[in-house]
Amino acid sequence: MIFAAGIDMGAKLTKAVILDGERRVVAKSSVRTRPDFAAIAQEVLDLALQQAGLKQTDVNYIATTGFGRYNVPFRDIQITDITCVARGAVFLFPKTRCVLDIGAQSTRALRISETGKVLEFRTNDKCAAGAGGFIERAAKYLEVTIEQVGDLSMQADKPQTISSVCAVLAESEIINHVSAGESVENILRGVHISLASRALALLKRAGLEEEVTFVGGVAHQKGMVKALEETLKKKVNVSDQPEMVGALGAALLALKRLEKVRLERPGTTQAGELSAAAS
Amino acid sequence: MGIDSLIARYREILDESPLDQVAEWKAKHPGTKVVGCYPVYSPVELIHAAGMLPVGIVGGGNRLEIAHADSRFQSFVCSIVKSTLELAMVDKLAFLDGIVFHSICDPARNLGSVYKRNFPRLMVEYIHFAQNLTSPHTIDYLTAEYRRLMTSYEQLAGKPITDDALRQSIRIYNEQRQLLRELYAIRAEKPQNLSTLESYILTRIGTLMPPDEHIAILKEALAGIRQRDERPKDRIKVVLEGSFCEQPPLELIEGLEAAGCYILDDDFLLGWRWFPADVPAEGDPVRNLAESYLHQSVYSGVKHDTRERKSKHLIDKVKETGAAAVLILAAKFCEPALFDYALYRQALEKAGIPHLYLEFEEKMWIFDKARTEVETFVESMLFD
Repeated sequence: MIFAAGIDMGAKLTKAVILDGERRVVAKSSVRTRPDFAAIAQEVLDLALQQAGLKQTDVNYIATTGFGRYNVPFRDIQITDITCVARGAVFLFPKTRCVLDIGAQSTRALRISETGKVLEFRTNDKCAAGAGGFIERAAKYLEVTIEQVGDLSMQADKPQTISSVCAVLAESEIINHVSAGESVENILRGVHISLASRALALLKRAGLEEEVTFVGGVAHQKGMVKALEETLKKKVNVSDQPEMVGALGAALLALKRLEKVRLERPGTTQAGELSAAAS
Repeated sequence: MGIDSLIARYREILDESPLDQVAEWKAKHPGTKVVGCYPVYSPVELIHAAGMLPVGIVGGGNRLEIAHADSRFQSFVCSIVKSTLELAMVDKLAFLDGIVFHSICDPARNLGSVYKRNFPRLMVEYIHFAQNLTSPHTIDYLTAEYRRLMTSYEQLAGKPITDDALRQSIRIYNEQRQLLRELYAIRAEKPQNLSTLESYILTRIGTLMPPDEHIAILKEALAGIRQRDERPKDRIKVVLEGSFCEQPPLELIEGLEAAGCYILDDDFLLGWRWFPADVPAEGDPVRNLAESYLHQSVYSGVKHDTRERKSKHLIDKVKETGAAAVLILAAKFCEPALFDYALYRQALEKAGIPHLYLEFEEKMWIFDKARTEVETFVESMLFD
C-alpha cells in the first residue's frame, strides 16, 4: 500500500492528513503553529503517523502547503494553499465551483473547474481585517473564547454594523457598541456580517458560481456560516473539519504526483527517491 | 570580471542608491549639464547631441520615505509620481539641470507643472507627443515639436545642436538599443541563461550613465552570458505586461521568476528600448526621430495608436515568443495600465491564453502575496 501526506502550515494551526493509495483518509492531526516550522511539521506528522500506525518511511510522498510550506526540509514538494483548498474542496463536495477560505490571517475566494483546477482567485489585502485574526481580537476584547463566538453570534437578535475595512478602526467601532450597551451576541454577529460582506466582494471578483464551499478555521463558527449564507443568499457547503481541507488537498496532490512519478519511474516507492525525481 | 560579479555589482548600486551614481558622475564632470527623463519615452538623442547627459528618473524605489509629497498629491495617485516629487523636495536631484516629462497620464502631466512651480532652478520641459497618429500632418507636427524642444535644450547647454552631432547620437543610441534587444533575444530563446532580474539590472544601469559606457558594459555582459549553458527548469513561460512606467522592486521581479515561471518578454523601462529597429541616421535626423516614433516604435499604454489594437500586439508577442500565459503586472493606481487591462483581459480570454493580474507599488517590501499568487497560477497550469 502506498501513502501520501499533506502538511498545511497555517498562521495559527499546522495540520496533517495522510491518505492511502485509494484516497482514504487514514489519519488527521493538528497542532498549534510555533516559530520552529521544521519541528512543528515533524510533530504534526508524527501524531498522524501514530494514529495510522505507520512509520515515516511508509509515507511515499509529502506535500506541504500554507505560509510555512518552504520551511519543511523533509517535504517532496510545496504547493500553495490556494491550489490545495481547491482540490480538497472538490474532493469533499464534487459540485464545488467556488471556494471561500478564511484562515487566521488570510481570506481567499476561488473559482474552480470540475476537476478542482483554479480558474480565478482573489486574496485579501495585507491587513487581517477580513480574516480570522480579526474575529479573535474582537473575541478577546469582548472577553469570550474563540470557541464561544460561533454559538453566541447565532443568538443575535439585532446585529450591529461594523463598517470599517480596517481591523484597528473596526475595534474602535466595537468599543462604541459596547459603550452603547449593545449585547456581545449582536456585536459578534456584526463582526461576522462584516466578514461575510468582504467575502462576497472577493467572491464576486473571482466570479461567483454554484456551489460554494466554505473552508478554513473560521468556517467552524456557526454564526459566520449563517452570516455568509444570508449575504450570498444561498446555502454553502461546510465539512466537519473545514480547517483540514488544505492539508487534505495537499495530500491529494501528493498522491497525484506520486502516481505520475511511479508511472514514469516504475518501482520507485520511497520519498527520498521521489524527491530527486520531483525536483 | 565574471558575469555574475558584474551583475552583482550593478545590483548593489540599484539596491542602495542608484541616483548617487549620477551625482558622482556630475561631480566629476561639473561642466556637463544633466537632464532627467521621466518615463515612459523621451528622445534622449536630442539631449545627448547638445552635449548633455540624459538620465532616467524612474521614481524613488522602496528605500525612499515619502514625507512631503503625500501632502501635494491625492491618496489615489500612483507611487512614482509622489516619489519623483519627493526626490526633488529632499534634494536628491541636485545633480539635475533639467527634467523632461510627457503626456502619459494626468498625474504625470501635473507633476511637470508642480516641478516648474517648485523648482525654478530647473529647466522643466514637457513633450506634447502627437495623439493622432493617422493624420497626414503627424510627422510635421512631431518634427516641429522636437525642434521646439531642441531650442530649449540648446539654451540649457549653451550651444547649438548640429545635424551631425544628432546623427552621431542616434548611432550611439541605436547601438545601445541593439544590445538591449540582444539581451531580450537571449531571454526569449534560452531564459535559463539570463534571468529577467539580470536583464533588468543590465538595462536599468544604462539609464544612469553615458550611453558609450553602457554599451561597453552590455558588450562585456553579453560575452559572459553567451558562455552560459544552464539546464532549463520545469517552469511555465510567460510574457509580462503593464510595468511600462513605475518600476517594480528588484525583489519582486526576482520573486516572480522564482515562483515558477520564465518571463520571456516584458515592458520594463520601455522608453529606453522604444524602437525595435534602428532609427535612420542619414538625412534629416530630427524628422527621422519623428518618423520612427510614428512608424516603428513599440506599442504601449501611453501611446494611443488607433491603427492597430494593443491587445493584438500582446497576443502576437505571446505567440512569437512561444509563451503559455501572460502576467499583467500593473502599478497601483496606474490608469493607463488599468484601462489596458480591461482590453487585454477580453482579448486574452477570447484567444484562450491564461493570464494573471497582479498589482505592485515601487515602495513595497512584502512579496509573499504576489509570490503565492504566481505560484498558484503556475500550479493551475502544471497540475492540469
